[in-house]
Amino acid sequence: MSKFLKTLAVLAPLSLLCNNVAWADPDAEDGAKVFNKCKACHAVGEGAKHKVGPELNDLFGRTAGTAEGYKYSPAMTKAGEEGLVWNDETLHAYLAAPRGYVKGTKMAFAGLKKKEEIDDLLAYLKTHTSGAAAPEEKEAEPERKSEAPAPTEERKAEAAPAPDAAPKTHGVFHLGRPATADEIAAWDIDVRPDGHGLPEGRGTVAEGEALFTDQCAACHGDFGEAIGRWPVLAGGQDTLTNDRPVKTIGSYWPYLSTVYDYIRRAMPFGNARSLSDDDVYALTAYVLYLNDIVTDEDFELSRDNFTSVEMPNKDGFIDDDRLSEPHYAGKAEPCMNDCRPGKAEITMHAAVLDVTPDAEDGEGSPSIE
Amino acid sequence: MTNTPTRRSFMKGGLGAGAALAAAGLAAPARAEGDPAITEIQDWNRYSGPGVDASPYGKPSKFEAGVVRRNVAWLTADPVSSVNFTPLHELDGIITPNGLCFERHHAGVAEIDPHKHRLMINGLVETPLVFTMADLMRFPRENHVYFLECAANSGMEWRGAQLNGCQYTHGMIHCVMYTGVKLKHLLDEAGVKTNGKWVMPEGADASAMTRSIPMEKAMEDCLVAFRMNGEALRPEQGYPLRLVVPGWEGNMWVKWLRRLEVGDEPWQAREETSKYTDLLANGKARRFTFLMDVKSVITSPSPQAPITHGRGRTVVTGLAWSGTGRIKRVDVSLDGGRNWVTARLDGPSLPKALHRFYHEFDWDGSELFLQSRAMDEAGFVQPTKQELRAARGPNSIYHNNGIQTWHVATDGAVENVEIS
Repeated sequence: MSKFLKTLAVLAPLSLLCNNVAWADPDAEDGAKVFNKCKACHAVGEGAKHKVGPELNDLFGRTAGTAEGYKYSPAMTKAGEEGLVWNDETLHAYLAAPRGYVKGTKMAFAGLKKKEEIDDLLAYLKTHTSGAAAPEEKEAEPERKSEAPAPTEERKAEAAPAPDAAPKTHGVFHLGRPATADEIAAWDIDVRPDGHGLPEGRGTVAEGEALFTDQCAACHGDFGEAIGRWPVLAGGQDTLTNDRPVKTIGSYWPYLSTVYDYIRRAMPFGNARSLSDDDVYALTAYVLYLNDIVTDEDFELSRDNFTSVEMPNKDGFIDDDRLSEPHYAGKAEPCMNDCRPGKAEITMHAAVLDVTPDAEDGEGSPSIE
Repeated sequence: MTNTPTRRSFMKGGLGAGAALAAAGLAAPARAEGDPAITEIQDWNRYSGPGVDASPYGKPSKFEAGVVRRNVAWLTADPVSSVNFTPLHELDGIITPNGLCFERHHAGVAEIDPHKHRLMINGLVETPLVFTMADLMRFPRENHVYFLECAANSGMEWRGAQLNGCQYTHGMIHCVMYTGVKLKHLLDEAGVKTNGKWVMPEGADASAMTRSIPMEKAMEDCLVAFRMNGEALRPEQGYPLRLVVPGWEGNMWVKWLRRLEVGDEPWQAREETSKYTDLLANGKARRFTFLMDVKSVITSPSPQAPITHGRGRTVVTGLAWSGTGRIKRVDVSLDGGRNWVTARLDGPSLPKALHRFYHEFDWDGSELFLQSRAMDEAGFVQPTKQELRAARGPNSIYHNNGIQTWHVATDGAVENVEIS
């Protein structure tokens, strides 16, 4: 394999070699699937922006390290300055072993082992380079190879398939493999107070009420008042200094994002992840309504207006200052003798409350009179 | 070990059986002088027992059937999202047996095929990664003994003595040896970006538990663990993978760990806003109260483990721990905190692990008010409940590390009380 690549890169323009080997024709559709491996870091197509890696529109003919607004590794910038231009040949060599071809590139990808995959991928990328879609070949410039970094033994090692097929591209131990964009999207559903992670979507109070009645009221009550010991969702405002405060979403929760995030990941209880993103917007809107934070049944919550909703208790939290409490602040040597006056008197019995579970079958806690 | 009711009833049963045998003339020809447990040949001394294949995975003796986790049904709405308690009063040493480690689930026990389990690292990292369990086993492993205490342990006691047994007042704790991989290795493998300040672990169960952990802690001593006490994690403890956050509240030790996201801000998840925040008397609540403070409890005698031997030599034993590090000293009082003696620490003294203490004395049969008071190597001393309540008000139920009082009556019965 490595020998083949070396031959490919040093001696033969790609197009010539292709004619001698029975490869399948490059297929842009298959290439779109191959591109799934790249999507975590690269965007291509209409409106594509730089992500972890640069956007790839009009890649063919672009000088390496020159996409505007993207911060390249010094190595890639230098390669461009030395004349590296992206075309079939250079992309083939680069994608087979990125870090072998441009030593010091920050592209962490291991490389594509199968030549067919690279062919298909390039066919797909050409559909996003104006004028390059037609499979015309031989635009490779033979003199390019003198300017390119010389193939090295390192490159040979990079290109060799790892014994267990694990990519050796990241970290210290080279364990695990890069996550795909779809995999990350499937699991990364968390939402933060600044709106980070909110999906597209919308839902109204009225829509939320219907969903709530069907899916939530059995435990939380029709008005969020709760059945049994299930959590109370509404009311309790201005009770936090009471002897028995009522901690609800309206009275206690500092951020609306927590409501969206929690419903989306864990509710309804026993059937998590069954609600659509719009459903969750609607339910979140309805919970706001139950707490009088919005009062209009037509109120629609969406990604656009989400972060403008402020929760009543948003300023109700402080950082951990336990160590300033008198019993900790002093760090005094504790008293050993005559520490309290008089004999100890019982002020409260647990047994009187009688809330301790009986040990079944006579085991465990003996009864105390 | 203490004389549990189980053992007492067993002894009675033994005597009865011996008497029956004697009456039928099947035992020794003449009634010997002394303890029939000695003078009569016991079944187990005569007949061979089950062979090695009878119990491929061994269980405790049937006479220990009472040593189990217990639930307090009225605490929660549903056992699927609930808690049970470690029977501390029945245990000794510092290691909790795997099957007795208390459980706290938010959507029941996830049953995960380890071959289908994946751990993802994403967010502010150079390379988002996916690991299989086999991948994780190839990182350098470490073994550490740590306690895990729920922040709500003793929370039901905040407003006063309520539950009569240290299993219930203090049983949301366990201590095992974990085998796992340093979280730092995994984060380094993905390459944390310079603005990555927080890590969010996420569970694979139906509650998809999330918490925000400061990067400094994540890099310091957190583990991604796959074994406890040498064997695979139990399903109820997060099989096949859980996070270990030494010295910090149990809720952060996400079970069934499937994802670690790196971010520049905390996520403000439900469990770190609506729960596990500490409402003070002024209406403000502390948040991110991660550390478990210095604490101890006498496990025996205690309400479920009364003194049954009468006056004379008596062993007081208990546990002490601190999220700060090692326990330096434990004092015991027999008179409700008027006078203290320093107890004897025995067994390994490991940072952020349970410590076992003993105090042996001759009981004169008079009423006792037993207390223990721990001091950690940072110099923090376990406070009284009164001191804590004075500082925090009536509703700060999490992180109750106040000194516990057990009242021992003249007959040896023990009760959970509050005293003057």
